[in-house]
Amino acid sequence: MSDRHPFQGNWVARLYERVRERGYDSLTAFAEARPTASLVALAEELGPDDVAGVQVFKGLVAEAERSRRVTRLVRSQFVRELYQCLPDGWPTVMDDANRFKVAKALGFWSSFTPETHEERVTQARAALRATPPPPGWRPLGPDDELLLTLLPDEEV
Amino acid sequence: MRAESPGVRWTGLLLALALLSNACAPLMPPPGRGTHLRYTPHEAATPAWAQGPGEASTPEPEGPQRLHRRQGTREAVTAVGPRGEETPWGSALAAHLAFRAALLDVSGSTRGLSGELSRLRKSHWGIAGKAGLFVPHIEYGQDQLRWLDAEFAAATRLAHAATEVEDPDMQRALLRLAGPRLEAALLGSLLLAAWVDVLHLLDVAFKQGYNSLETLFVDMDRWRQMVEPAMTALASREPGQVEAAAENMPALMGYLSGELNRTAQRLESGLRNVEKVKVLAQLMELVTMRSALKFSLPTLRPPAPVTLGVGMVMGTSGVMMGTRIVVSAEWVEMMQRLVREGVLSLPAISAAVRIQAGQMMMAHGELPRGVREALGDGPEVRGMRVTDRAGAGMAERPRHHVMPQEFREWFEKRGFTGDMDINKFCVRLEQAHHQAIHGGGNWKLGRLWPGEWNRMIMKTLRDAEIEAGRMLTRNEVLDIVGEAMKRYGVPMKFVPWRGS
Repeated sequence: MSDRHPFQGNWVARLYERVRERGYDSLTAFAEARPTASLVALAEELGPDDVAGVQVFKGLVAEAERSRRVTRLVRSQFVRELYQCLPDGWPTVMDDANRFKVAKALGFWSSFTPETHEERVTQARAALRATPPPPGWRPLGPDDELLLTLLPDEEV
Repeated sequence: MRAESPGVRWTGLLLALALLSNACAPLMPPPGRGTHLRYTPHEAATPAWAQGPGEASTPEPEGPQRLHRRQGTREAVTAVGPRGEETPWGSALAAHLAFRAALLDVSGSTRGLSGELSRLRKSHWGIAGKAGLFVPHIEYGQDQLRWLDAEFAAATRLAHAATEVEDPDMQRALLRLAGPRLEAALLGSLLLAAWVDVLHLLDVAFKQGYNSLETLFVDMDRWRQMVEPAMTALASREPGQVEAAAENMPALMGYLSGELNRTAQRLESGLRNVEKVKVLAQLMELVTMRSALKFSLPTLRPPAPVTLGVGMVMGTSGVMMGTRIVVSAEWVEMMQRLVREGVLSLPAISAAVRIQAGQMMMAHGELPRGVREALGDGPEVRGMRVTDRAGAGMAERPRHHVMPQEFREWFEKRGFTGDMDINKFCVRLEQAHHQAIHGGGNWKLGRLWPGEWNRMIMKTLRDAEIEAGRMLTRNEVLDIVGEAMKRYGVPMKFVPWRGS
């Protein structure tokens, strides 16, 4: 039993098979249809036992790289991270508990960023610390206005 | 307890409850505990040991109250509802409550044993006299209390840490870390209870003027040699050793109770000359009142043959042997939850039940199926064990630190020391899974984001600290680690590091 793990067999093929089964021709399309879902939630929808969140992210990175839309992916990931830790948006009161929620969201955002964009994310994080967004800010997708000013597209 | 006719049944039940309340001392909560988690009926107003000779113990009148209390608290424990319709939160909470209750049981019994050992140590007319010949054996008992207390404290700390993390999976994982500690303390306190019984018997005999010391001295030495390896194994914290000790414990306790039986008879005939046999008979009652060995001991009255050949069954009041309750239904329920959650292991709990059941069951290898199932045995639990041992010829899956060893110091500064050392937080992974996590194997997709575990986790933690503008607490680190494990599909089941 439970010897199944997400990396068994050809997981890339499995991942795309599941995406197609759900009527999408790319992982990006599947994920963008669920802009606030966490990576774990996306993975669970694709396969509760045999798909992991990192695999979904790997796939998203590969697709974004091919379509040259990595910056957009980074913004999408910001939305997912923030929504997971702070579903009501940027905290009104920055107490210790909320400070940790922000820290956790931005910490994961930072580590779940392709190498090419690490520097820009570091700068964006510094900008957020210097000028915090308005309380209640809750980006719901990669096209959020404030998010776009933090991380504008450069590609294409 | 020949309770076949309905008229006698009530008396039988009362007696059974009264007996239970005394006999299951090592598994039951201490007197006067101020908590509503008191789901077992045991609560001796005064320890039988503390009573003087001749004060007959009559616990029967308390029966109905106990019964009442038991029902009341049963609701509290089951309030979360049966398994299956629970939320992850509810089930983690219930496991946690069961764990706390089990902890209280063990702590109550070790506290009782501690008091009794200090009393014996001062018993200058009894066992502490005789030129101090037997004092080392009392001290041996007191030494065992030290590791029992340490295990207990560690289990308590881990249970406490479990309440502080938010994620129910991480809560369960922390309880599982604490499980072996509780198991060792539970079995160790049973064994120590037996040891204290032996000391107590001698104490009583000496006070009655028994004077042939040589044989007793030799006997004591032999018994200690029997007890010592088991105690050492239980204290070792090595899961394999603890499990082996657990499996052997019913037999060992059976042997000890046989020896105690023979010694009691010898003491009786020794004292018969001084016409003190009646007193001794009463004292035997007192000796065995809270003993783990009670039911396997002779009553020095005609023994009740009723229980002979009667198998154990799971009834509504608990595990029954004839009309006798071996362990209460509440205890069974609590253990079932902990076994199903993978916190305690079935072999250890089975051993405890068999010891409670007395000599006849000690000789048998396994509990009846119904009882095993009530204690949580089932295909999934057995499966858990098999995969734990990486069973049937498969090589044991290697263990990996979830918090990278290279950064041990970083984690130590954030409270990962002692029971929460990063060595306690390892996971077993299949080779392919492990390679993938560390950026190898068939991990080729999306080369712009290597996603290598160690680098990812340290970057997340460090950048979170930059954002927080302070050091993360231990629980915050665990929170982040737990989330990362979910993203990587790593099962939330920790095993200690072994070797390198």
